[in-house]
Amino acid sequence: MSTRRTGGPDEPPRDGEPADRPAEDRAPPSPSSPARRFGAPPSASIPRMEHVRLTAPDLARRAAMEKTRGRLVVAAAGFALLFTAVALKLADATVIDPLRPPPVVAMRRPDPPPPPGSLTSLVAANVDLGRPASRATIEDRNGQILAISLPTASVFANPHEIFDPAGAARALKSVLPDLDEALTTKRLADQSHQFVYIARQITPRQELRINALGIPGVDFEHTERRRYPLGRTAAQVLGGVDVDGHGVAGVERFFDARLRRDPQPLRLALDVRVQAVVRDELSRAMDEFQAIGACGIVMDVRTGEVIAMVSLPDYDANDVGHASPDERFNRAVTGMYEPGSTFKLQTASMALNDNVVHIWNGFDASSPIHIGRFTITDFEGKHRWLYLPEILAYSSNIGAAKMAEAVGAHRQQAWLYRMGMLSRLGIELPEAGMPLVPPLSNWKEIATLTIGFGHGIAVSPLHIVTGTAAVANGGTLFRPTILAQDSEAAPRQGFRVMRPDTSDIMRKLMRLVVTDGYGKPADVPGYFVGGKTGTAEKASKHGYHKHANVSAFMSAFPMNAPHYAVYMMLDDPKGNAATHGYSTGGWVSAPAAGRVIARIGPMLGLLPQLDNAAEIQASLAIPLEPGVPPGATGSLPPRGLVPLVTRAANPPPPVVPAFPPHDYRHQASLVTPAIALH
Amino acid sequence: MPALSRADTSLLGRWWWTVDRWTLLAIGSLIGFGYIMMLAASPAVAERIHVPRDIFILKQVFFLAVAGSIVVSLSMLSPRGVRRVALAGCVLALLLTALTMVAGVEIKGARRWIALPGFSVQPSEFLKPCFAVVAAWLIAEGRRNRAAFGRVPGMLLAFVVYGMIVLLLKSQPDIGMLAVVTGVFFIQLFVSGVNLAFIGMGAAGMVGMAAMAYVFFAHVRSRVTRFLHPAIGDHFQVNHALEAFGNGGLLGRGPGEGHVKDTIPDAHADFVFAVAGEEFGLIICLIIIGIFAFIVLRGLLRALADGDLFVVLAVTGLAAGFGLQAFVNMGSTLDLIPTKGMTLPFISYGGSSAVAVAVGIGMLLALTRRRHPGEAP
Repeated sequence: MSTRRTGGPDEPPRDGEPADRPAEDRAPPSPSSPARRFGAPPSASIPRMEHVRLTAPDLARRAAMEKTRGRLVVAAAGFALLFTAVALKLADATVIDPLRPPPVVAMRRPDPPPPPGSLTSLVAANVDLGRPASRATIEDRNGQILAISLPTASVFANPHEIFDPAGAARALKSVLPDLDEALTTKRLADQSHQFVYIARQITPRQELRINALGIPGVDFEHTERRRYPLGRTAAQVLGGVDVDGHGVAGVERFFDARLRRDPQPLRLALDVRVQAVVRDELSRAMDEFQAIGACGIVMDVRTGEVIAMVSLPDYDANDVGHASPDERFNRAVTGMYEPGSTFKLQTASMALNDNVVHIWNGFDASSPIHIGRFTITDFEGKHRWLYLPEILAYSSNIGAAKMAEAVGAHRQQAWLYRMGMLSRLGIELPEAGMPLVPPLSNWKEIATLTIGFGHGIAVSPLHIVTGTAAVANGGTLFRPTILAQDSEAAPRQGFRVMRPDTSDIMRKLMRLVVTDGYGKPADVPGYFVGGKTGTAEKASKHGYHKHANVSAFMSAFPMNAPHYAVYMMLDDPKGNAATHGYSTGGWVSAPAAGRVIARIGPMLGLLPQLDNAAEIQASLAIPLEPGVPPGATGSLPPRGLVPLVTRAANPPPPVVPAFPPHDYRHQASLVTPAIALH
Repeated sequence: MPALSRADTSLLGRWWWTVDRWTLLAIGSLIGFGYIMMLAASPAVAERIHVPRDIFILKQVFFLAVAGSIVVSLSMLSPRGVRRVALAGCVLALLLTALTMVAGVEIKGARRWIALPGFSVQPSEFLKPCFAVVAAWLIAEGRRNRAAFGRVPGMLLAFVVYGMIVLLLKSQPDIGMLAVVTGVFFIQLFVSGVNLAFIGMGAAGMVGMAAMAYVFFAHVRSRVTRFLHPAIGDHFQVNHALEAFGNGGLLGRGPGEGHVKDTIPDAHADFVFAVAGEEFGLIICLIIIGIFAFIVLRGLLRALADGDLFVVLAVTGLAAGFGLQAFVNMGSTLDLIPTKGMTLPFISYGGSSAVAVAVGIGMLLALTRRRHPGEAP
């Protein structure tokens, strides 16, 4: 280090440097500095090497500077290390091993909290967060809207993104006055969830105001709100939806997938006008007789379409969550009742169709039947032979039981099976129930007898209506349907269950019940109503209630060309002064059925046929005690334990009961727990 | 910028051709990114503490403009000018820091701030760059044999000043600032060439001081405990910061799409790096780290070429201070070191911080300017 390059001798003096400053104090020139004069052209650069003497302190200082440079490099390396560590840790935190909450979309949305008072069992299912497709409208057969989805929004929050739960809850409360602020604060602070609902089905105005609050972590889910513009009309048929828009009952539940998949309106067979009339008359009768419930059905017997289906008490379909179980109960399809005397139509049909009896045959109803521990009686019965028309008109239990006995258990079962009485109906309602019937393997003689007059079996009102429709329409059984049939499509196919001539006789017999039997209050001039009353004591665990009836009237009209079946039933009606204390079907349900027919006939395009009424009535007439036609055999195959005997030569004069009839006589008097079905 | 002729000998011309333009560009990028981060992070914080939404942005626009001008103005100084400014600044900052003991505003348990109308100042922020220069001067002066005065006890004086600073910062308390000042001073001693035994003693002393801080300051203890045992205690801020980085991933969630700023109280200040990570992702954050590393390493390596011990030590101190501050901030946010509230230079919100960092960087630029060989410091 004894040689160095230096600047030229004419280097300009430096500012502020004392002239007498020792040479060794001067900063050493950079090795890279050119050995030329400041500002001189490169050609003037003449590096000169010269030998200079260096003092010892200068050498020491220079050695120290070298040490400094070395350590500077170490320091720089240290910093490079620090920043590398930061960069590595950054890569680790962002990409290699990110600490990241599971993304919301990957999470299953928790079940929404049930609204207070609702049935948790009705609150269904998990759904994805995507916007659901618009749920289809439900219409009646005339296009009247029964259920429609309106856009609405739900507001939810991600507690992970909520900075100030209390402040957020307070702000939300200012828009949603019903909000439980304390509860909301608690839920917003709960870090174990990433999705909590704050409020469902808020109005657009509320959505706008909440949005304007600008609370981070609060967002909206655009959904729909199901509205039922007619409220209680057909509530049990429609069912209802839960807060997530899932059908929880009725058509909404049965067609849930269809309603969400296909935006085309779902057209029901119901006619809201008829529905309203039935509901009106039923509730009027319910009030009048203080019944605890009621059920009404109108069916097009030519297609099996259910035109009206009412069950009372009912509920507002907009608020299914607050409906009581009794209100949600659809008596028409879920309620299983002993049909009582309305079932005699089936017994008569099967006996006639199988040629077990002829219209001119009769049975000995003079004395009660004793079988085992049971006694079958007719209250205030005629205590004599009864012709087939009389058995229906006077609703003789003994006669019906003997007729069933004549048919036999096997054919009775086969008939009931064909009529759909032993299985669920195929109607498109999830509530459709299973009849309560004795086991086919253990179908005892007593069962054959009692089922003959509608006891010892329990079916839904719709079963009765469906079976009666087949009796009335010429013998074709249609699966009942809640959906409207396309008028342009091929007509529905049914199953022939009886001969047309059997149906012809049954129509006349049904008409006879109204003209001469207990069904008189149901008659409407010009509509040729036919029907059958039916009153059953309600069964309970402890046998039959002596004073609690299920009182029904099963009718069809017009009987010359049946088009509609009308069923009216009151559950536990109380007789009043006007009915002389009676609460039987003929007294309480038949008048309501008559009023319904009078009101819905014109609506359904059927005008009363008053001009040729006498002529039509004549074609439907059948004598209570028909004579044996010439050539017909008066005897019946000897079957069962009660031989059937043709009428004696001197028949008693026909006894037409004075109107109003004491129709409690057609009640069963089965005082036995064994037969009661629940 | 209009092209300046090499022959331009005006103040601006000479500055432009001698200043380290790469570092200047790096500083400019940091300031620019600082603006962007303020736009991203501060409105959420402002709304949360119920002040006008843009207040932090507007203030920071002003602070960064001031900081930029300070960088440029100070970088025009000669080394001698730097020394004078630093000396004056050091004395003033010491006095003001002492004043915080009697007239300071207590924020979150520490008296670090002096309230002035409109804003408040943290004088210790200024102590860091100014002391680095003053210490460099004293150490360099101690090595110099002056015929007139004999040997100046520079090293001793440096330790005296350092001792005063330790006393003041300990009383505030501001252990983080003390740690950085100590670290910087230690690096300067190391670079100045004191022998390794002494360095070893110094390192041991620092460990001792750290241990004492752990024992005597509850908040230090709590933070270290939480760092060492993540399961224990409240890890709220760091956890959210790490979650933010995780959310950001490689490319980030996009400007304004982050959520960490809604949850961490200091998202616009001490935890701004987490906001950057969440919204801009790994790549941009690596670029930011790269810029900090570039400024520090370039400063240190440029000092290699300088023959003046004062300049070398001052540059070392200033670059180390800048680098340590950035490292502590990013390291805390990334859970690399225990949480220490320290701003990210030029990017975090804060007037005192921005101006103080600008003072340091301005002096760094002044000292690393290309000087004529032998030009007096």
